[in-house]
Amino acid sequence: MKDKVTFDITRRGFLGTALGGAAALAAGPSFAQANTLNILSHRVHQAVLMPDGGENLLAEWKSAQDAEAAFTTFDSNPLMDRLFREASLGSTDYGVGYMVDNRPTSEIASLFEPLDSYQKDDPIEDFGDIAPGLVQGMTVDGNLIGIPVRHATQGLFYNEALLEEAGISAPPTTLEELVEQAGKLTFTSSAGTPVTGMILASDLAVFPVMFARAYGGDFITKDFELVPSPEAMEKGLDTLRGMFEAGSLPRSYATTKNDDMVTWIQQGRAAFTVLPFARNAQLNNPEQSKYPGKIKATAFPGSSSLPSGTPMAAVTEAWAMVVPKNAGDKQLAWSYIKEVSSKRVTTGMALNGNGPVRVSSYADPALIEKNPVAEVEAEVLATARGAFPPFPEAARAQATMLEEVQLAVIGRKPVKEAVAAIIERVKPLMPS
Amino acid sequence: MRSGRILVVAGKAVAVAALLTWSLVPIAFVVMSSVKPGQEIFAVPTVYAFEPTLEHYAELWRRWGQFFDGLIDSAIITAGATALAIIASTCAGYVYSRNSSRFLNASVMFLIVVRLIPPIVVTLPLFPLVNIMGLNDTHIVLMVLYATFFVSLGTVLMRTFIDQIPRELDEAAQIDGAGRLTILRRVIVPLAAPGILAVAVFVVVFAWNEFLFAFVFTATKAKTAPLVISEMIGSIDGVDWGILFAASTTQLAPILIFVVLMNRYLVAGLTAGATKG
Repeated sequence: MKDKVTFDITRRGFLGTALGGAAALAAGPSFAQANTLNILSHRVHQAVLMPDGGENLLAEWKSAQDAEAAFTTFDSNPLMDRLFREASLGSTDYGVGYMVDNRPTSEIASLFEPLDSYQKDDPIEDFGDIAPGLVQGMTVDGNLIGIPVRHATQGLFYNEALLEEAGISAPPTTLEELVEQAGKLTFTSSAGTPVTGMILASDLAVFPVMFARAYGGDFITKDFELVPSPEAMEKGLDTLRGMFEAGSLPRSYATTKNDDMVTWIQQGRAAFTVLPFARNAQLNNPEQSKYPGKIKATAFPGSSSLPSGTPMAAVTEAWAMVVPKNAGDKQLAWSYIKEVSSKRVTTGMALNGNGPVRVSSYADPALIEKNPVAEVEAEVLATARGAFPPFPEAARAQATMLEEVQLAVIGRKPVKEAVAAIIERVKPLMPS
Repeated sequence: MRSGRILVVAGKAVAVAALLTWSLVPIAFVVMSSVKPGQEIFAVPTVYAFEPTLEHYAELWRRWGQFFDGLIDSAIITAGATALAIIASTCAGYVYSRNSSRFLNASVMFLIVVRLIPPIVVTLPLFPLVNIMGLNDTHIVLMVLYATFFVSLGTVLMRTFIDQIPRELDEAAQIDGAGRLTILRRVIVPLAAPGILAVAVFVVVFAWNEFLFAFVFTATKAKTAPLVISEMIGSIDGVDWGILFAASTTQLAPILIFVVLMNRYLVAGLTAGATKG
């Protein structure tokens, strides 16, 4: 031990340090700089605008506005949580947020700037070219609160190599064919891999909704009609139940997640799945997939019992750009939205893997060449709609529905009873 | 008699093996998958013999530069939170150890109660407050929060350690003219070093891995590595498992090394006061 240690703290010194520290803290964090637009988004929204090693699609906007775009990125649900919390504050540093179209209830929409007047004063290029259904999804109580920027529309993916191995020459065109092919494809492949005909996640409403729609039914319509055709919903669940019984759905159906669908199809463990068309590149990525170039996509087929000419409405989910009411420079935010919504940037983002919201983008030769599923995606998008409309109790309604669907599919509850329970339990959650 | 002993030993071996399998298999899977070719990570039948590759680490470096920024942020925040928690816990532990009053005894109970509050309960009300103070997206806010959550446990631990240091040493130092702070620095801290290290282990492990506070209170400037990893489990563009496992291994390595090195202090911390009569 040393002889002498001094450690003097005087009251004045302590007070000075404390005050100095507090002042430094108060002065320290400066978030938004002049001409910096803070954007709250998913990483993919940033990546399609500024791809690694690719053209920065925001370069022109940056130069014209003398501004920088600073992205803060989160995964989908955390992103929504953060966006709504920021918009609830007295003020926020974020000028633009990305919102998914199943979220804007009247209450949430009231946190965001109505964009009609911006569109009137300084319109987006050829606004009518943006899919009207997507625009409708972001119109709440008559106010346009978001400009669509990306969609993810569900398609039927199949492993062409496995189909060939099972002697199937073409993908199904009716739901009945799909069920039959999935049955045939529940086998052990020549590679020694046990194959399940189809894999679907059990925790997403998309799949039972698609099966109900295949028979002309639905879960909740855009006019908030709950299970408009119980018979169609029963048929859809009966089909899923039959597939599970036949082993065409995995035994682990009740615990199957979205990521399992991707890995199973990449590994040749399943022959069919339902995923957004945008997943095509990932499913065929040679670094991850055992079947690069062999995973193809087509429209999810409706039942042959559907009246002729009735389109199968696949499920689509769209993202839109919104401006929090408590944001600072809203004109800068609008200039960004205008730029990102332009034809040039929309097509550029589509070439980088974004689901384009403009109909004209699908006619772009470069996109057709680069994206083999662009054509079928455009066709499906024409009649696609959301899984269900936004309302305050939507999450609980979805969870309730899925609970009953799971019981029906794994045979713990008769299908008829499950559908009746969906109607009975979800009804009180519906908006009045 | 002998066969009975063999059975006991065998039973213990099986129990230890089961425990190790339970704990180590997930870690081994993550580490192995980080050097496995992407196609083979989830292959069925499972591929055990493969040519290791560092490709996922290279991709992690190339595509997820923000992960490494996140590691730096995590390190800064962890270091700050640990220092704060140690200072506060040691001072408080010293006071609790050397003083006694009805108020102090009651406040020990309060410290324990504070630990029972689920973090989410305080997180959301704190958000607007932190925002008003201009501390959002700073390292400081996380340092303070992490330290706050561990000061209670740290204080109780430090009190137990300091209780074991004879009061006569304080008195001897006092006679030599030392003040309270000098006694704390020159006498208590060196002798209670194992306790300080035990507290440090708890805080470091918590702060390095914490997600909820970091998610709520940071955006870009103080974004920690667990937040970046959570983004890799993207629900929109899919998961690149090889990169995710490489990031998880990178995140895990320093803390694993730290905990292994500090293992004996951790045990000392957990058993502190256990033999006190």
